[in-house]
Amino acid sequence: MKKISFILSILALVGLLGTSCTKKADIKGKTLNMAVSSQVKGMDPIYANDRYSSNEVARIYEGLLEYHYLKRPYTLVPNLAEAMPIVSKDGLTYTFKIKKGIMFQNDAAFPEGNGRELVAEDFVFSIKRLADPKLQGLGWWLLDGKITGLNEWRKKYTELPTVDYEEEVEGLKALDRYTLQFKLAKPFPQFLYALAMPFTFAVAKEAVAKYGNEFLNHPVGTGPFAIKDGVFKQTKKITYVKNPTFREKKFPCEASAKFEKEGLLADCGKKLPLVDRVIVNIIEEDQPRWLNFQKGKVEYVSVPKDNFDTVIPDAKNLSPEYLSKGIDLMVSPSLDVTYTAFNHDLKLFKDNVKLRQAMSLAYDVNTSNKLFYNNQAIPAQSVVPPGIAGHIENYVSPYRGNGSPEQLVQAKKLLAEAGYPEGKGLPEITYDCPSSTVTRQIGEYFKKQMAKIGINVKVTQNPWPELQKKITTRNVMAYGIAWGADYPDAENFLQLLYGPNKAPGANGSGYNNPELNRLFKVAAVMQDSPERTALYEKMNRIAAEEVPWIYGVHRQSFVLKHSWLKNFVNSDFDAGIAQYLNIDKKMKIEMVKKL
Amino acid sequence: MATNEQESKSLWHHAWDSLMSDRTTVIAMSIVLIYSVVALLSSTGLIVSDWSKEVGPSYAPPSSEFLFGLDIFGRSVFAKTVKATEIAMSVGLVTGILTVLIGVTLGSIAGYYGGKVDEVLVWFYTTVSSIPGIMLLISIAFIVGKGLLAVYLSLGLTSWTGLFRLIRGEFIRHKDREYVQAATAIGGGDFRKIFKHILPNVFHIVIINFSLQFQFAIKSEVILSYLGLGVQGVPSWGTMINDAKLELARGNWWQLAAATAAMMVVVLAFNILGDSLRDALDPKLKGK
Repeated sequence: MKKISFILSILALVGLLGTSCTKKADIKGKTLNMAVSSQVKGMDPIYANDRYSSNEVARIYEGLLEYHYLKRPYTLVPNLAEAMPIVSKDGLTYTFKIKKGIMFQNDAAFPEGNGRELVAEDFVFSIKRLADPKLQGLGWWLLDGKITGLNEWRKKYTELPTVDYEEEVEGLKALDRYTLQFKLAKPFPQFLYALAMPFTFAVAKEAVAKYGNEFLNHPVGTGPFAIKDGVFKQTKKITYVKNPTFREKKFPCEASAKFEKEGLLADCGKKLPLVDRVIVNIIEEDQPRWLNFQKGKVEYVSVPKDNFDTVIPDAKNLSPEYLSKGIDLMVSPSLDVTYTAFNHDLKLFKDNVKLRQAMSLAYDVNTSNKLFYNNQAIPAQSVVPPGIAGHIENYVSPYRGNGSPEQLVQAKKLLAEAGYPEGKGLPEITYDCPSSTVTRQIGEYFKKQMAKIGINVKVTQNPWPELQKKITTRNVMAYGIAWGADYPDAENFLQLLYGPNKAPGANGSGYNNPELNRLFKVAAVMQDSPERTALYEKMNRIAAEEVPWIYGVHRQSFVLKHSWLKNFVNSDFDAGIAQYLNIDKKMKIEMVKKL
Repeated sequence: MATNEQESKSLWHHAWDSLMSDRTTVIAMSIVLIYSVVALLSSTGLIVSDWSKEVGPSYAPPSSEFLFGLDIFGRSVFAKTVKATEIAMSVGLVTGILTVLIGVTLGSIAGYYGGKVDEVLVWFYTTVSSIPGIMLLISIAFIVGKGLLAVYLSLGLTSWTGLFRLIRGEFIRHKDREYVQAATAIGGGDFRKIFKHILPNVFHIVIINFSLQFQFAIKSEVILSYLGLGVQGVPSWGTMINDAKLELARGNWWQLAAATAAMMVVVLAFNILGDSLRDALDPKLKGK
């Protein structure tokens, strides 16, 4: 899914908080009250292209694969698939066996309201739905050009009035009731990651047929939870209940050494989900979320930037006040990068690498880190974040501005060489950003930094959809934005600079470098190998030196959790985590008194 | 005719006397005057032209050195507040003038001519006023692009309806009065009757409305800027309050305090002034 997050959803990145009402603590069963920081679009997998929507979708729907909850680095494991697929020698044919006896939840869409068994054909249907030209699924980019015959199928029905799902697609077949076969048009090493993303999750055609346009609000899945009363009412509070027909899925008994040591295997072998209901509250503003956490109505919360100093005074350890309440701090790096993109359609930026370098040098990343990320983010040297192959350890980009006076001198020199001594002759540069307070402040900061070398910047705030539209229609000069990983592969970041991916694709800046394009084309079809890593690093270096964007930072998430919340771990791919979380009710009753 | 002139003169004179005799009004007027002078000095660059300069550490609290403290970038909150005064006053003035121009022109035409002209204009004004204000403001801001111009236009083009209604009503009332008939009798044209004869008799409404419009525009500008639709790149009380929304969690109250205090004082002053003007100018309230 395309998870561009606002440049400053910083800590809101892990925007799920658990609320847990003290009053309700004594009702039957365990309740996990969570909250998210953004509106949810709906419950249809093919439209879940932001983190918040896809997380909600993943409570109800499931895919063939998922990320192992307790393994790092991130490892794919079978979910609805019986096992990992058999891959043909040429790497183009993937054959999956699907688990038997998996039932769709009971719903009026099925005869007598009883959910039927999931079969391979359901995946064929669901993925065709993603490709359906009439539905305009937002995740189509993921499979565009990847599966044999699917593009042709899509193209054919673009012009015809109705779409025929019965027509067979060469690369997408159910061989029998439980066998599913994909044939790829070209090698796509990230294909398996795609199958762990909510876009490709299984939906039931009966439900699609019954609810039609309203399917968005009538989720019918195979997953651990079902929405209460079966209808998503687009409210600020979403209630899920345990799906009674959920299969025997067990809490994992293996974990990375670190998690094992932390005792995260206590629930090993227990049937999932571990709680009876999940309540998701949508609370968009930081402060109400924070207050809810402090009252124990929220089980975990990311620390708002402005509360950071009081909560984590030395930037490492929790303040004694919070420790005494049994609250834990969990710090983990996010797979993301913030950046200021140039519009490379403009001659001004396209042909003038020195101008870009000058601007990048003038941008003091250290101060911005201090002002906006409590000095806890990692200044980005290039596009690929630490933690995935392709990131170059200890590499320092020669054009990474750090606020030193020498760099300022160099920046001014480069600006003069670019043809704009002291900024003379340069038009006013507009900087577009989303309209939240912090993104505006980041814009003002950018303006200030550029003023140091005589470049005049105008900051314009836009509502999020408006900004996206401006980028797609190339109606921008420079804009501030961020990218969070869809899957743990540098390809997901480097594609942002791949020429043919230009808007409306993911490359919003329209950067087009023949050398980088050539390398990307080669690397994109390679399986994970040292050679591919070398290529990734090479591209990463080009991306640093050519300064297609001014890089910002790789953020870290700081999450606080209450003592009674069990099994919580930070994850960049947190779709489906609610099933693993557990609540210690007794402890909760006791600890809430201390708050 | 002569008596008429004398009367109107004494009305203004009388109003002035009554305004000056009330201490609260005098204070309110002085405040407005001070704000205007500050705005004028700031717009000519004589004061706070360096508001964007970093003068100390980020979020320094108020002290003898930093009156009102500093903001996230170490800029003086005092300087920002003063600079924002310029924006607020200019928005008040420009939208006030726009409102008067549109409201008075259309209102007098509608009221004076009546008939089809009136119907069309009334239809137009009811249409404009039936659209929720904030929606209209947002859409205008989107059309003309964000910035000061958008604020001027969006406020000016949306808030004339109240004045239009009043002026139209007054014109309907006045147009058949004897002094207008007399003007017709001696061959006065429409233009002359509207501007020379009727308008001076309803002008007190314009003045009162202008002063109330002024403070409404200031408040609206703050709201627009708070929502990110207002001025861009220069301080506004609205953006300062928006900043403060997050800063309060750190215990930084000074930006909020400075912006709200500055706004409160001027809005209150305009309200008091508007009230006093009405008391002084409205013939119906005279002697009460």
